[in-house]
Amino acid sequence: VQPPEKPLQAEEWKKLREEYQSLETFEEVMLKSMIKCNSHVDVAKSLLTYVAKTNGDVGYNLLVKYLALCVQQRKTAEICDVYDIMKMRFKTLESGAYSLLIRGLSNSDKWRMALTLLEDVKKVTTPSRTSYESCIKAASRHQEMSLARELYHDMLAKDLVPTLDVLQAFFDFSRGMEDADLKKELFDILLYLRDNQIYPHGTFMRSIKLWFESIPGENWRGNLTNIKHSGECPVCHHQLEDSNLTEEEYNILKERITADVIHGRDTFRKTSPQEFEAFQAFVEDRLPFDIVIDGLNVSHVKPKKMQCENLFHAINCLAKENVRLLVLGRKHMLVNSSNWKQDVMKEMQNKADFFFAENISEDDAFLLYATLRSGKHCRFVTRDFLRDHKACLSDSLTRRLFRKWQRGHQIVLSSSTEGKRMNFLPAFNYDCVVQTTGDTWHIPYKDMFEERYSYQVPRKWLCLQQKQ
Amino acid sequence: MQAVNTLLKNFAKCSAFHLAVRHGVKKDLFPLHRTLILSPCLKEGAPHSASEKLDLDEWKKVMKSGVPEASEAGSEHKELSTVAAAREAVEMWRLAGRAVPENISDDQLKTLMECPSKASKKKYLKFLYIKELYKKNDKRKMEEKRERRLETQEERDSKPDELKKNSFTCLWTSAIDRTYNWRVAQSMIFGQPLVFDMSFESDMSPREVANTVRQIVFSESSNRKSVDPFHIHFCNFQDNSQYHREFIKHYRQAWDKLLITVTERCYTEVFPKNKIIYLTADSPNVMKTFDHDKVYIIGSMVDKSIKTGVSLARAKRLGLETACLPLEKYLLWNTGAKNLTLDQMMHILLTLKDTGDWKKALEFVPKRKYCGFVGKSVSDLKKGLNLVNALKLGKKREVQKRQFAKNYSKKLIQK
Repeated sequence: VQPPEKPLQAEEWKKLREEYQSLETFEEVMLKSMIKCNSHVDVAKSLLTYVAKTNGDVGYNLLVKYLALCVQQRKTAEICDVYDIMKMRFKTLESGAYSLLIRGLSNSDKWRMALTLLEDVKKVTTPSRTSYESCIKAASRHQEMSLARELYHDMLAKDLVPTLDVLQAFFDFSRGMEDADLKKELFDILLYLRDNQIYPHGTFMRSIKLWFESIPGENWRGNLTNIKHSGECPVCHHQLEDSNLTEEEYNILKERITADVIHGRDTFRKTSPQEFEAFQAFVEDRLPFDIVIDGLNVSHVKPKKMQCENLFHAINCLAKENVRLLVLGRKHMLVNSSNWKQDVMKEMQNKADFFFAENISEDDAFLLYATLRSGKHCRFVTRDFLRDHKACLSDSLTRRLFRKWQRGHQIVLSSSTEGKRMNFLPAFNYDCVVQTTGDTWHIPYKDMFEERYSYQVPRKWLCLQQKQ
Repeated sequence: MQAVNTLLKNFAKCSAFHLAVRHGVKKDLFPLHRTLILSPCLKEGAPHSASEKLDLDEWKKVMKSGVPEASEAGSEHKELSTVAAAREAVEMWRLAGRAVPENISDDQLKTLMECPSKASKKKYLKFLYIKELYKKNDKRKMEEKRERRLETQEERDSKPDELKKNSFTCLWTSAIDRTYNWRVAQSMIFGQPLVFDMSFESDMSPREVANTVRQIVFSESSNRKSVDPFHIHFCNFQDNSQYHREFIKHYRQAWDKLLITVTERCYTEVFPKNKIIYLTADSPNVMKTFDHDKVYIIGSMVDKSIKTGVSLARAKRLGLETACLPLEKYLLWNTGAKNLTLDQMMHILLTLKDTGDWKKALEFVPKRKYCGFVGKSVSDLKKGLNLVNALKLGKKREVQKRQFAKNYSKKLIQK
């Protein structure tokens, strides 16, 4: 339905309503389309007046819709009126109305009222992160940074993930301020980005840059750059952190992979205890490996070629530099077939160690185990993103460790090139996270509209350095 | 006096005032102003004067006038217990037009409050809402049916002289039941066993257990009604388990009279291991024919989150033979998981047992999941397709393969 342009008289509304097919939902649908078309509030008011006159009451759903319209057009006085009416009519409000009120009021000079409303919501349930966002933005807009920080910590304590807008607001509104506590808070936010592997977008990155450059007396300079493959920053010639885990982290990851990915709730789901023991003995016998290859995955790189041919090429490419290779496969590879020629298989077994799992076992789990057991220098080859194995890990911390380790240790075969040579995308030499050395900061960022898959890391960086 | 004050305040806020000034219609406004002050009760006065000019904030007055004492409501609010507060929140959601049930019991509210997240609460409320809708619909249909029955009865009563002659004796449901029970009783002595493995309780949520039991109840009833029923076994069945409680909910007193074997023991203790075949969609072995001498096992599990390999792991642990239905072979699969519901499995197995005809049996696979049935097996078709492609591509692949083999043997010779 198209909402009318001007406020209508009761009779006119009545006529419109009768023209509409379903009488019960007419008002709701009409208000909805008013929100969509951003109609003038007076039109909505005239509809409500008509409803009030005929029914002697305006329903809660209509009030909320009207409220949404007022919030959309920032009519503060109206918002307050609706709130008064709602408070009088209903004992409690529902979360939708609360978040609308908070959003509407925080944008106005009555923003303190939004804070009290937030307290009201807390009594019943946890407020949404957007409600917090509105309040924090309102507080920082009015230079009440300590209040904003308080709300921010409150939000983190409730396990809510802050929106990037909130974090950006902190940087935007503390520009040029001299406040040691606040500065520490902002550094903490950057470390929060680091810990959670969050990458800021372009405008957020600009806010960070401007804030750094505005710190009085510290003389920060920011540059946008691309990091070389070696991991050296072209601007300040600083070498970025590598993605090696600490000893402790490495052990945690090793333990969790064995416990969650290989065993899980039932060892029989992915392998069997006998098979796993046999594999462990096999690996311990031949340690350490330099590269572990997922044989079946590699054998499918070029679909037009025979599978053993693909594997053969890959092994030849990797074996040149006198490295110790382990190839994981399944038993069916040992049966002569059109895809697996046994003489080729024999030849390959001279160049690398092979372990053949049962046909119904999962070889990926073995891949992870063998690589981790071999030590930090060991890498693995597969095109698999290993997302299902990451999902098996029980907590988010280990999942992040896994991603970090994967970035640094996975060699990916690229299938795009049709040439004879195999192309290997080597593992990253440096870790793609927010990082600092005290007088430099390096912050990876993504463009606002750039499509980035979760497994891709941004290539663009903000380099910040303090010039003496 | 207070009422007049609030009204005045409203009037000051009223944007109609500004609107009127903007449009230069002072004429209309001032009479209204006068009525406001003069009449103690505006409710009657306002509509008259505003009949030609719209008062946009009138709805606010209406809303505020019919208000119950707000202060009392406020004090009450503080004393609310958590259950009552939750009930009120649900009621507000309903007013806001969300999918929540109209009536909600205290038990359901408690389950609601135990939901760990907002999303799970929403989901549970929606579930209750839909359940309520179904119930209402059923009730409405029942009433309509009763009315129709009454009408036809009246018609029949109006023409009373009609001879009721029937050469067959009327078979009442109890008689039919007796026949069915006789058949099942026979199958318990001579019939082929079919085992439901009841060891998946820890892998399922309460709702999944409830769904499982429902599906087993359907399976049991279709088995009972078949010409040559299976002898159903529930193995690994623990008394007082969730399964047990759900079964009692469905069968009530009939649970003890069911013609099935319920045991705590594992199927490996009841039957010889070499006769057992565990049916699971994850199995690498495809079932070719139905074997009348084997004991087939179905895992009593509904996995809405598709937990692959759970039942295969059971079979692996016990070293049992496994099999899956030849769905790929006979059906052009469209969408959906290959795991079927327990009652569908039962229908398929019963049909196989009676006829051995895969086409008839696989008719019980839901139609949305596949595009069509193929008389020839799909793999044969694919081979044909490959052949056509190979001819089209000029045997490129074959040539490549041969070349590699040749080069490779050359390399070996060189060495």
